[in-house]
Parts: sequence; C-alpha cells; structure tokens
Amino acid sequence: MSSMPSNAPVLQVNGLVKHFAVTRGLIRRKVIGLVRAVEDVSFEIARGETLALVGESGCGKSTTGRLILRLMDPTAGSVRFKGKEIADLDKDSLRRMRRYMQIIFQDPYASLNPRMTVGEILAEPLRVHEIGDDASREARGRELLEIVGLLPEHARRYPHQFSGGQRQRIGIARALAANPELIVCDEPVSALDVSIQAQIVNLLQNLQQRFGLSYLFIAHDLAVVKHISDRVAVMYLGKLVEIADKKSLYDRPLHPYTQALLAAIPKPDPTLRTKRVMLQGDVPSPFRPPTGCRFHTRCPHAQARCSAEEPALREAAPGHRVACHFFETLPAPTILARAGLAKGKFAQRLAAFEAAKAARTPA
Amino acid sequence: MDNLLEVRGLKTHFATDRGLFRAVDGISFSVPRGRTVGLVGESGCGKSVTSLSVMGLVPSPPGKVEAEAVLFGNRDVLRLSADERRKLRGGKMSMIFQEPMTSLNPVHTVGQQIVEAILAHSAMTPRAARARAIEMLELVRIPSAAQRIDDFPHNMSGGMRQRVMIAMALSCEPALLIADEPTTALDVTIQAQILDLLSDLQRRLGMAILIITHDLGVIAEVADQVLVMYAGRIVESADVNDLFADPQHPYTIGLLGSIPRIDVDRKRLATIEGTVPSPNNQPAGCRFAPRCPFADQRCRLDPPPLRDIAPGHQVACWKAPVEMAS
Repeated sequence: MSSMPSNAPVLQVNGLVKHFAVTRGLIRRKVIGLVRAVEDVSFEIARGETLALVGESGCGKSTTGRLILRLMDPTAGSVRFKGKEIADLDKDSLRRMRRYMQIIFQDPYASLNPRMTVGEILAEPLRVHEIGDDASREARGRELLEIVGLLPEHARRYPHQFSGGQRQRIGIARALAANPELIVCDEPVSALDVSIQAQIVNLLQNLQQRFGLSYLFIAHDLAVVKHISDRVAVMYLGKLVEIADKKSLYDRPLHPYTQALLAAIPKPDPTLRTKRVMLQGDVPSPFRPPTGCRFHTRCPHAQARCSAEEPALREAAPGHRVACHFFETLPAPTILARAGLAKGKFAQRLAAFEAAKAARTPA
Repeated sequence: MDNLLEVRGLKTHFATDRGLFRAVDGISFSVPRGRTVGLVGESGCGKSVTSLSVMGLVPSPPGKVEAEAVLFGNRDVLRLSADERRKLRGGKMSMIFQEPMTSLNPVHTVGQQIVEAILAHSAMTPRAARARAIEMLELVRIPSAAQRIDDFPHNMSGGMRQRVMIAMALSCEPALLIADEPTTALDVTIQAQILDLLSDLQRRLGMAILIITHDLGVIAEVADQVLVMYAGRIVESADVNDLFADPQHPYTIGLLGSIPRIDVDRKRLATIEGTVPSPNNQPAGCRFAPRCPFADQRCRLDPPPLRDIAPGHQVACWKAPVEMAS
C-alpha cells in the first residue's frame, strides 16, 4: 500500500448508496418501502486533510461514515481507501485494513467498556491487530495518554472515574493506538460543554499536524466545522447538496439550504440580532423524499422545475460543486456581518486571559 | 423596574451518600415583567436546579430549598401551601423542558394533554377548553391545528412537539415562562423557528421569560439580561449587550473565547484549562480560582461577592476588570 504517491487521495467515495428496507408484519415480513438514507454520495479526502460532512438529523451523514468503515454494507457504490476497494475485502483483510481507519464516537459514555481499565481499552486495538507484546502495549498506552493530555497513571482507572471531556480524550487515544491514517470523527464534540469542546477541537487539530491524519468530521454544527475543516460537504435527505473548500462555502454559499443553515446559527453577538429569513417546516421523511430537488418543499426560491427534475451536482468553480438548478441566478445571501466584537474590550480581555494563561503554563 | 420574580439568597442542597451537594449556593436575581432573562452556564453549574427550585419541583428529600425569599408578584412562593403552589405552577408560572418527547405523555393525544392543563387552571367547559387548545396550537404555528390536535406525540417531529409544549405552557396565560434548554435537542433550522416563535409570543402576550441554556448564541439572540452561573453561584450579571461587549469575569471571557463562531476568523479557540469542580468538594475561595489564569492567594481563600462594576453590571471577581499586564 505504500506504493501510492503521496498526493493521491486517502479516501475516494463514489456513488455511495444505502437503502434500508422498511418491513411490516410479524410472521410474514413484507418489505413495504425503502428509506433512502444515502443516495449517490461521492467525495475524496486527501492526505492530512479534514473534510466535514454536515447536515441536520436524518440527513445520512452518520450512515455515510459507517459505510466508509464498512460497519454496514452499502447498497451500491464504491469506497476506496488508498486506492483499494473496501467493498471487495474478505473479513480478514477488512480487519487488517481497519487498523488504518478508525472512528471516534459522539457519546464518550457509551463507547468505552465500563468493565475495562483505560489501559486495557487502549491495549485492545493493539492486541486485535497483533502489534507488540503485553509490555510494549502497556508502554504504548501510557504514551497515548500523554499524547491526548491525560496522565500515564490514568491507565489503571475505569471510564466512570473520568469526566465527559476526559472520556472523549480516551476515545481519541484508542483511535490513535494503531497509528491510523484516517479517522472518522462522528460528532466528537457535540455532547461536550463549550469550554471542553474547545479543548477537544484544539487537540484534534494538534494530532492532525503531528501525525498527518486525515479526518472525516461528521457534525451538525457549522461553527465547529468552520474551525476544524479544510473542505465542507453539506448533506440534505441523503444527498450531497454542496461541497466546497471552507472559505468558499462560508463566504459564498451557493445552495439555498447551505445559506439557510448558516443563517440559522445563533451568533454569539447581540448586535447581530436581526429578523432573518427562516426555513419553514420540517425535514421531510427520507421514506418518501420529495420528487425533484429534495429541498424544494422548504426552499424559498423553488420554481416549477425544482419539483419535477432532480438537480445534478454541478461545478460552480474549481472544487465547488452545487446541486441546484438556479444557483447562478439566485439573489446573493446577506453576507454574514463581521462581528465588531472581534475588536474592543472583549478582544482585549481575551488577549489578557490568554497571556495570563501562557505565563502560568510552563512551555 | 417592576420585578415579576425576585429571588433572594436561594440555596438548593441535596443530601447524598457522598455528602452534601450544594447545587445552588446562595444566588439572588430578579426577572422584570415582560422581559427575557438568560441564565447561562455549563453542565452542573446549577442552572436547571435554579429553575426547578423556583417552580417548586425539587424532590424533597433529598433536596432542600432555602431562601430569604422567592417573591412572585408580591407573594413568597416558598411559604405557600402545596396546593397553592400547584395552582401557580402551570397557571401563572409555567415551564418548558429540553426534551419534548419525555415531557409529553405518549398514550394521550396532544389535545387531551393541553385540555387537561387548561381545565386544571380554569373553570372552562371541556368544549371551550378544546377550542382554546386549538387556538393555542394555531398560535404556535402548527399547520391544520384542528386536525393535529388529535395526534399522538409520536406522530409529530421534535420541533412540533416543542411547539405543543409551548402551547400547553402558554394556555393559561402565564406571567412567567421558564424555558429550560428549549431548543437544545432541535436541529439548527428548527431552533431558529422556535426562538423566533418565543420572541413573537412574548411581544404579543407580554409574559416574562427566564431562559436557561448553555448556548451563548441563544442568549445573544433572545435575552435582555444575562446571568452567568459557575459551580452554583452567579459570577456575572449584565445587560446582554454589555455582557458580550464588555465581559468582566474571567470565566465569562474564557467561555466567550471558546465558542466556535462563523462570524469571526480565529485560528485557535481559547480554552479554559481543567474541569468544573465537583459539587461536594468546592474550593474555599472563588470557585473558578483553580482554572483562572489571574487567580492569586486571595482568590483561593476568600470568596468574592457579587459587586457593581458598572451601572447594571455586577461581577463576582476580585481581579475585575482584568486588563493586559503592562
């Protein structure tokens, strides 16, 4: 696998589809329909890059993450990890491959075995992949704890003795144990408090630089995503509606859904409080998605063509693709006001806070 | 200003096997009529226990609510009988919770549940109560309310259920609505709809809102005044514009710096080192001292009182205002 040139994408996803059968009846189960959870999703992730996959509940973002790790089998489509198709792998080769593809889950409480010590939790992936002996695995566990900002002696403790943020650090250490190249981060900070969330986001960024990791960062929070990602893909009801590098997406969102998502985020600045255009209604059921463009039932710009014809993901600029018939002619969204709070007393005090912190922590 | 709710020296403690949990430890604040006060803080800071204490919903034992006074209108609710308290709750003082699925009864239609609330607090006939329930559902913008009233909660989306909760809470025209993380479980586009609905209803009905949240973005959108809580105490209290433009407490400063935001480009997020102290083992002095980069010996030993630092702006910090060391 090391023969791949270093600029080749680590992950290539092409035409990924996942349908879940909906059945009725206890004895004679009949398939009465399909939930189209993921429909024709394609993207690539380069080495050392973070691609964020964002969208609201039920848009298929987590399912996509699980399909990539083949924690479930896709209905159709291809997932290539470093050029190798993972759909064709047998059980053994798949397990070997998983050493290089890891996952961090949302809920740090539910994803750590409460009966194992942290040391055992960290040694397990090494044992599974037959790396090292007991002594070297233990040493690696202590090293991992230091890497994620915990103490080596924490290895003897159990998960319940840690706070939520510390447990997420343990989850990250476990994912790092066997030196992966790609980590799927499935809402890794959404269960955490803001101040702890910031610690974990910064940790993930440090680790990426240090180990050259690629991340697929699945999240619903566009503000967190703006901090951590290089590129962003927006999903709605199982389909990609827009994919672009971070700057283009936040400065010039082209799909009406992306625009609405950005407008809906509450901004932590009361001077930006304005009456804004809001999306009406709820996300339709993926069991019976709307015809044509799936977003047309909530789109403020929808026209007749939108309910009749499904828009293709078209290139708007190099690397910026949008699935909207009319993105060229849509009115430009109100540009997000740059906050005045970036200057002034708050900024000065924050600088003082950071300076005082730096003065206290030995470098 | 005319205060609808005035809380003085509220303490809520829980007796547990591991000692006394001081969830709320001596806080005072007020909510003016027709205004929105935001109570913000992270998990375990005591913000929800504060709201439950005001509502009289803290189970006792193990909980114990004490205060110099909790004045609602001009009555001290802590000195009311259980029966009078119940009449107040859901009537003039109403509450909505984070998880609309667990706060609605799954075996009754939403209509039955709203009607039950109306009948408990008024002398209406069941027929009039049903008409009122439909009116309330229309008010919270549920489409075809006359049909949806006979739906069960599981037939509705999360956003719709929260609308039903709001309809129920407002059905008896409360003077105070306590909203505990009302949009935390909702998607961001639905959250925007619910926040907009709450502001609109407040303008039309004139009730006061005490909104409890961990999200400073939500606070910035809806609150007039803000209380920042940390480890059972109020550390800062200010008008919403002052709090964001001129934050005084180091905790508030760190918290504002740690929010990822789309309106500011920043390479790294500020972080507050460490974690919240455990409620049965609080530091002796300022509770934020172990995590505060400005803390000195005095901060560690002597708890700072909430003091005026500017008109209408209070902070509990010996070091405020903190500025760049010269």
